[in-house]
Amino acid sequence: MNLDESHLEDLALGAVFLATGGGGDPYVSKLLTALAFKKYGPVNLIDVSELSDDAHVVTIGGVGAPTVGLELLPSQNESFEALLAYEKHTGKKVDALVSFEIGGGNSLIPIMAALAKGIPVVDGDGMGRALPEAQMMTYAICGACPTPAVALDYQGNATLFSTKDTHTYERHIRGLTQASGGMMLTVEHPMTGAFLKKALISGTVSFSVKLGALLRQSRGSAEQLLSPLQSLFKDSVYGECRLLHTGKVTDKQNSVLGGFDVGEVTIASFEEQGPPMSISIKNEYLIAKLDGKVVASVPDLIVIVEYETSSPINAERLRYGQRVAVFAIGCPEFYRTPEALKAVSPRCFGFDLDYVPMEAI
Amino acid sequence: MHIGIDVGGTHTDAVLISDDDIVASTKALTSADIVTGVAKALSTILTDGAVSGTQVDAIMIGTTQFTNAVVERRELSEVAAIRIGLPSGEGLPPMVDWPADIKAAVGNHAYMMKGGYLYDNWPLAQFDEAEINDVLHDIKRKGLTNISIASAFSPMNPEPELFLAEKVKEVIPKARITLSHNIGRLGLLERENASILNTALLDFADRVVDAFGLAIKKLGIHCPVFISQNDGTLMNASYVKKFPALTFASGPTNSLRGAFKLSGVANAIVVDIGGTTSDIGVLQNGFPRESSAIVDIGGIRTNFRMPDINAIGLGGGSIVATDGLHIGPQSVGHRLVTDGLVFGGDTLTATDLIVAAGGPDIGDKTKLNHLSKEVIENGIKTINQMLDRGIDMMKLNSEPVPVILVGGGAVLVSGDLKSASQVLRPKHAEVANAIGASIAKISGESEKMVSYQNISREEAIEQVKQEAFSHAIAAGASKASLEMVDIEETAIPYMDGASTKLRIKVMGDVQALASTTHNKVEEASS
Repeated sequence: MNLDESHLEDLALGAVFLATGGGGDPYVSKLLTALAFKKYGPVNLIDVSELSDDAHVVTIGGVGAPTVGLELLPSQNESFEALLAYEKHTGKKVDALVSFEIGGGNSLIPIMAALAKGIPVVDGDGMGRALPEAQMMTYAICGACPTPAVALDYQGNATLFSTKDTHTYERHIRGLTQASGGMMLTVEHPMTGAFLKKALISGTVSFSVKLGALLRQSRGSAEQLLSPLQSLFKDSVYGECRLLHTGKVTDKQNSVLGGFDVGEVTIASFEEQGPPMSISIKNEYLIAKLDGKVVASVPDLIVIVEYETSSPINAERLRYGQRVAVFAIGCPEFYRTPEALKAVSPRCFGFDLDYVPMEAI
Repeated sequence: MHIGIDVGGTHTDAVLISDDDIVASTKALTSADIVTGVAKALSTILTDGAVSGTQVDAIMIGTTQFTNAVVERRELSEVAAIRIGLPSGEGLPPMVDWPADIKAAVGNHAYMMKGGYLYDNWPLAQFDEAEINDVLHDIKRKGLTNISIASAFSPMNPEPELFLAEKVKEVIPKARITLSHNIGRLGLLERENASILNTALLDFADRVVDAFGLAIKKLGIHCPVFISQNDGTLMNASYVKKFPALTFASGPTNSLRGAFKLSGVANAIVVDIGGTTSDIGVLQNGFPRESSAIVDIGGIRTNFRMPDINAIGLGGGSIVATDGLHIGPQSVGHRLVTDGLVFGGDTLTATDLIVAAGGPDIGDKTKLNHLSKEVIENGIKTINQMLDRGIDMMKLNSEPVPVILVGGGAVLVSGDLKSASQVLRPKHAEVANAIGASIAKISGESEKMVSYQNISREEAIEQVKQEAFSHAIAAGASKASLEMVDIEETAIPYMDGASTKLRIKVMGDVQALASTTHNKVEEASS
């Protein structure tokens, strides 16, 4: 399908929902993507089955601290320049682009680069949501090597990476990002079309457009939204959708540990005598407990929205006194396999508990 | 003795306060030129209070003039908007996301140049003398004198903005300049927007402040004049000439502060019932609870701090369905006095229900004889349910809290509310906004990015606090009364505690009143 400026608001809104609290505010990425659509016209969004098996596909996206991005703004051509730098330093020609993660602003960066380069974007991503680290991507779990990769900073300085494994790459890219102003673009995870057909969470870009349209059209209380939301998720790569809780934020703790934004939010119930919900945060919303009992956990999606408008709320915007609703959505089946859970279960985030699919709770 | 005035879109309210007592109050229509209405309100309360202008120690004014100017795209001057921060943000010039009509109203003169610092104070890019010269001479050639300067990370390091301001003054000696670090917080686009709007309002601010001054002088009053800002505190009039944008959304804040003053209750929900909506806000320790959302002013994103308000479609003019079970959000608004049943019109409104139920004696009660008992009871129940639900949403827990009713529509509430531990209907509630303006204190705020690896936390807090103190003193606070009221620390993700955003707010009494009402206001807030 062709994706154009008329899909942009919905795509971005859906992407904030699927970001489960992480991914930052896509506002600035949205402005730049709108400019790119005006300049180049629509982008070709292709199904992964349309890729030839030997096609050379890479991921492109931003790495760094969303707070820094509030001041160090991205520029119009940097995603295209990052792609050109990758081709120059690796000597390989890129046939199509794909997202790291559908959640947040990183869903839009491949579109900007693809528009400028005149190549297609693959409909899908490597997370089906947002997650904080490279080894949590489906591409890495399926065995793709993240390098050769090229990182580009706001000044156009390019760095080529060739690392022996994903963990080393992750550590190096974080170090370089700190030294480069706190925000970088990376072009990484070179994959063949054949590989991507196994490793992709398919259809999430077009799904995000539909999800955004639904959120926009059904703006109202969370209870009114539930039923249409359930129908939409049922016919997708995701699973069941539940309304876990409605209430007011009565406490939010926040600190930075090991490079993560770590915290916990407490949400008192609107119901008199109703038990409170607590949600653990590590960049994203990871564990939801009702009255101390786990009711949903990563990799299932936990989403907090404004109660009255159903607008999704990023973790950094969550605060004392907000009136909110909490939804949980079953993650794509990929993440429920033993291999995937080795990378994304609650234990991988330091929680002493095993993953139980939300439907089984 | 001091005076509080609220210049709203429709009404100009004024109160005369002696020590802690309300000596006189008035509610009049806002005049087109503002001045006539203000002068009239002032002379009314001076006459009613039997005092002369020379006895007034201070005047506090709350006004929506500057917000309305932005919303209605009038009285705005053309602005040269300079951003320092290339090569970052290339393709996203100042005002890139503004609605076309207001962009045109300020002339759409956007400039970008290299310079600025990163989060860790490493240079983002070096200034380029030739580039600076080109920009400044282009601005000079266009004859622009109102100039906004915003630099990436300027709340952490304002040096590039200060440097460029000096350069501007060399080339354009009569330039009027807003530096973004003086008006906004982290978030370059939002801070820059605030700075540009402020610059566009500078000439109008001169006219408004001078007009207030003239009206006051004509009545023989010679005292300091203050204007209230969005956080419920005051600026002296000369400060408003530099920072008019800080008055945005002072209306709801003054209403909440006035409710606190009139009731003496510092922790409560305040319901301000007007003709079309009920605005529900929260008082915490006598001040409004703030909203953290991005605030849109006339279609422009800013990051001003505003009170958290839940507006529901219920007011005195709200239209009632024939069964009484549905009320609003449609309202007859200011046409209530002609369209409402009790005034001889043919629309059933919330006011008619209350009068029919034996409420206040308004209009001609016989016009309501045809309403059935059932419809009246349904209607009263619906009004209370709507308010209970709105109040519950703003509460922090399920415990009932005191509810303070203010505004012209407060008569809509008959009896008790389920959500409230008690319903307070303070005297003078109809001029709560003017009261709110009259009791405002003076605040100062400062924000910096700090690294606790380079500076101790205590030292960092002391530095930022001293900056906030000097901002408050510049705005007219008495130095001795200043105290720190809020510290906010936000760590930056991925930076391992190296960077923290530290924001401090301080507050103090109005210097001109320090010896008179200060003690009594303190008592009421404790």
